[in-house]
Amino acid sequence: MTEDDYIAFHGDLWQLLEKVEKGEMIPKTQASHAPMCKFMTAFFVLNGIRHVVPIVHGPTGCTLWVSNVIKRRECCESRGVPLEPTACTTLNESNVIYGGEGRLLEAIKEADKRYHPDLIVVLSCCVSGIIGDDVETIAHEAEKSVSCRVLAVQSEGFGGDFRSGYEDAFRVLMDLMEPPKKKQEKTINIIGARMGPTITEWDEDLDEIRRLLDEVGIKVNATMCAGCTLDEIKRAREVELNASWCYDWGQKLGDLMQERFGIPYSRTGQPYGLKATEEWLLGVARPLGMEKEALDVLRKETEQVLPELDYMRRTLRGKTVLVEVQDSFGPIRALSIARMAEEFDAHPIILNVHPYTIKERMPSIKYLLETGFNPEVILTNGVFRLGSYYEMSETEEELEMLVRNYDNIIYCGNSKRFPDCPVVNFSDFARRPHYGFQGIKNIATLIKETIENRSLPRSKLIREVLYGGYKLIQEREVPHGR
Amino acid sequence: MGDKRIELLSTSTERCFDPYLRCALNGAAQTVLGVKGCGTLTHGPQGCEYLVYDAFGHQDCDYTEVETLCTKLCENEIVHGGEDLLAHTILEAKELNIQALFVLTACGPEIVGDDIVSVCRDLQPQVPFKLVPIESAGFKGSEYDGIDIALDVILRKLVKDSKRKISSSVCLIAPHANANPTWMGDLEWVKQILSQMGVQVVATLTYKSTLNEIENVASAETSLLLSHDAGKKAADYLSSEFGVEQICQGIPLPIGMTNTRRWIFDLGKRFEVQGIAKRLVAEGERMVVETYRRKGGYFFEVARFQRTPAAIVADATIGIPLVRFAIEELELKPELIALRSSRPDAREILEREVDDLGISPKIVYGTDVYKTKKSLEEISPEVVFGSNIERHAIEELWTPYIFEVVSPMRRFRVIDKAYFGYNGILNLLEVVQNEFADRWRSKEKRYKARW
Repeated sequence: MTEDDYIAFHGDLWQLLEKVEKGEMIPKTQASHAPMCKFMTAFFVLNGIRHVVPIVHGPTGCTLWVSNVIKRRECCESRGVPLEPTACTTLNESNVIYGGEGRLLEAIKEADKRYHPDLIVVLSCCVSGIIGDDVETIAHEAEKSVSCRVLAVQSEGFGGDFRSGYEDAFRVLMDLMEPPKKKQEKTINIIGARMGPTITEWDEDLDEIRRLLDEVGIKVNATMCAGCTLDEIKRAREVELNASWCYDWGQKLGDLMQERFGIPYSRTGQPYGLKATEEWLLGVARPLGMEKEALDVLRKETEQVLPELDYMRRTLRGKTVLVEVQDSFGPIRALSIARMAEEFDAHPIILNVHPYTIKERMPSIKYLLETGFNPEVILTNGVFRLGSYYEMSETEEELEMLVRNYDNIIYCGNSKRFPDCPVVNFSDFARRPHYGFQGIKNIATLIKETIENRSLPRSKLIREVLYGGYKLIQEREVPHGR
Repeated sequence: MGDKRIELLSTSTERCFDPYLRCALNGAAQTVLGVKGCGTLTHGPQGCEYLVYDAFGHQDCDYTEVETLCTKLCENEIVHGGEDLLAHTILEAKELNIQALFVLTACGPEIVGDDIVSVCRDLQPQVPFKLVPIESAGFKGSEYDGIDIALDVILRKLVKDSKRKISSSVCLIAPHANANPTWMGDLEWVKQILSQMGVQVVATLTYKSTLNEIENVASAETSLLLSHDAGKKAADYLSSEFGVEQICQGIPLPIGMTNTRRWIFDLGKRFEVQGIAKRLVAEGERMVVETYRRKGGYFFEVARFQRTPAAIVADATIGIPLVRFAIEELELKPELIALRSSRPDAREILEREVDDLGISPKIVYGTDVYKTKKSLEEISPEVVFGSNIERHAIEELWTPYIFEVVSPMRRFRVIDKAYFGYNGILNLLEVVQNEFADRWRSKEKRYKARW
């Protein structure tokens, strides 16, 4: 089998972006790639505010998915968040015909009475969007008769890509930000976070950022929306600067707050590796007039990770680092890891960044390209195959074939992948944080563990469970001496 | 029953509802995913596909064998209609090696009037598999309604009339309805009992069911409903249309000693194998007693709950039989029974049980998370049989024991454990015992060890 048989695109990020902009390479049915809908991502943002009651103006299915997966499984079970309500108006066939505005108005009043929230946010979904219920007007009306603010987000699942849910939710929250009573000096907001936090955003990464800011003497008003309070959001305009812990998610809110309130926004990527960490911290410290303090912290912190930096450089120099976009992280994180690999003299290749996600993240990807980072990109045919894409089973075999073409390659991504090369485990539960200086230590350890233990076997059981169709367990070679 | 305290919540009257149940699309998806060698195509926006993924997990599906597709409708299709995109996707799916493609609708396309039945009819000659359209918009009801909708279409569209009945045969209905991780173990136990009685299972609606089995459902002499939450309509349809007799009607499902005995005896009577039924009961009951005597050791925590006030917050399938189990086996005193569904036939069974047992708990039908939490606050039980939701809901209350026995739960993920039958009793006792041990495990050490 030649590369032509399984490679759909091989070029650089610019070239891929051009193709996507021209409408090429976007599968029409897109059955192979189904990210969350706008409603779900809007909920992610709002769920990161304490004592908020989301009211889903729709049936129970949309509501239960977000309350079960986001609120209860991720927040209550794994992240110490108390159980708070996720209410809905349970729209039914009759409401589809006659409308559900009256029902929504009553639901808001009821929610206020039952839950005593700091804030109520109405989320529309497909049903209420199509039947034309005016959630914004109802929210406005309801506010007169309840004891808290009531906002509405137009978040119909069909109404935009998954990114638009984040952006619209953040945009709506700006209405809560009050004119500053005073300026909080040397204080920033960290923006672009969700839920408090989600599976792709880790407490430990946030802790590392806050630790570094604290060392420099910079205070944080709010992390929006990672478990922040309504009061913190109200005070959001008092800060001197906004910074994002993920350029992609924070970009829209940062731009909007700059445009509307004149609060500058630090445009930096995720702090993976030394260079990006320096950029991140200086990007915050310089506008606050704290460059000297930041440089002192950077110098001190860098000294403490010199052995790790030296190890990463020695180990990665001259190697090809294949970074795959997969369920542990999306394209922006993959690009950040690739950029870090380049910093340590490796040649990064991004694997299987779906054109659909390029389309969704266009501004952030353009920003990264403008910084001069334009990595090689490979897309395999499996990305476009009609199918469910469970566990990326459509692309495993192609990944394994691709790796055979390189002599000196390291794979960075999910430990559920089985290419015949060192696999650096960047999956969800690998050592955290990955950001900042603690991140440098942890990533160096991950690489070291991978390289030093290369001769240990990978689990055939897990591979066969995940991908099937491989050698049966019974056919395994029995180790000698048994 | 003396002082009846019954509340009936309904999603059509409640305005502000924190639901336990998913929507009709999810139930329909869970049902069709139980048909082997077929694919599922959701005609809806991309978010709705997550409800199908969720159903996938509840149907014991293998993603290397089952395809789930989605038309991923956007604003354009909502404004101009999505029938073209649906047709295009069906034709693309031609390459799949499947016997049938179930086309499910989400809310959006049903409201804008996409006619999936016509699209499927028009395209049927062009595809090598059977197209089965199911109008399952989420707003049509809960996941249980979705199960009923899907079963109705499956039966009407796929079942062939059969003049010949297979003697001593049964069709099993809706074993999957409560989506609890134990339902596959329950189903397996039912099949073992039937097999020991010489009863043939013609089809299961649905679990790893083949199209051929479904086509032959009408040849079953009897039907056995394995849920108190869904499937009754399918059983009624099979009775009226094909004369399939419903058995074990009106009694709780076989959880606990008495319920299991009653259920097995009913089966034995219907199939005229009372001797076998008696033997199965005798052996089963002895096994439970002897096993627990040996394995329970000196702990026997379960014996410590005499007259402890308890709450049962569950689906009806597990919740109703659990009432008798809690009283008879554990000597608990149920003071709150909150069921997620409110089917009239299930309500009758529960109220008969409550009368028969001589208790007067507060009963909530069709409960939501708010009502559950408030009821738990009001009743203040010491023991709760519930799910992971109640585990978090009681954190601010004084409730020492939460037995996580229904979905969503974080345990019972890999092995198909049952609650039905005699091993089911031991499995439940094990949950109780483990929770008891966790409750009393020291969380902190009083001083540091020296080594």
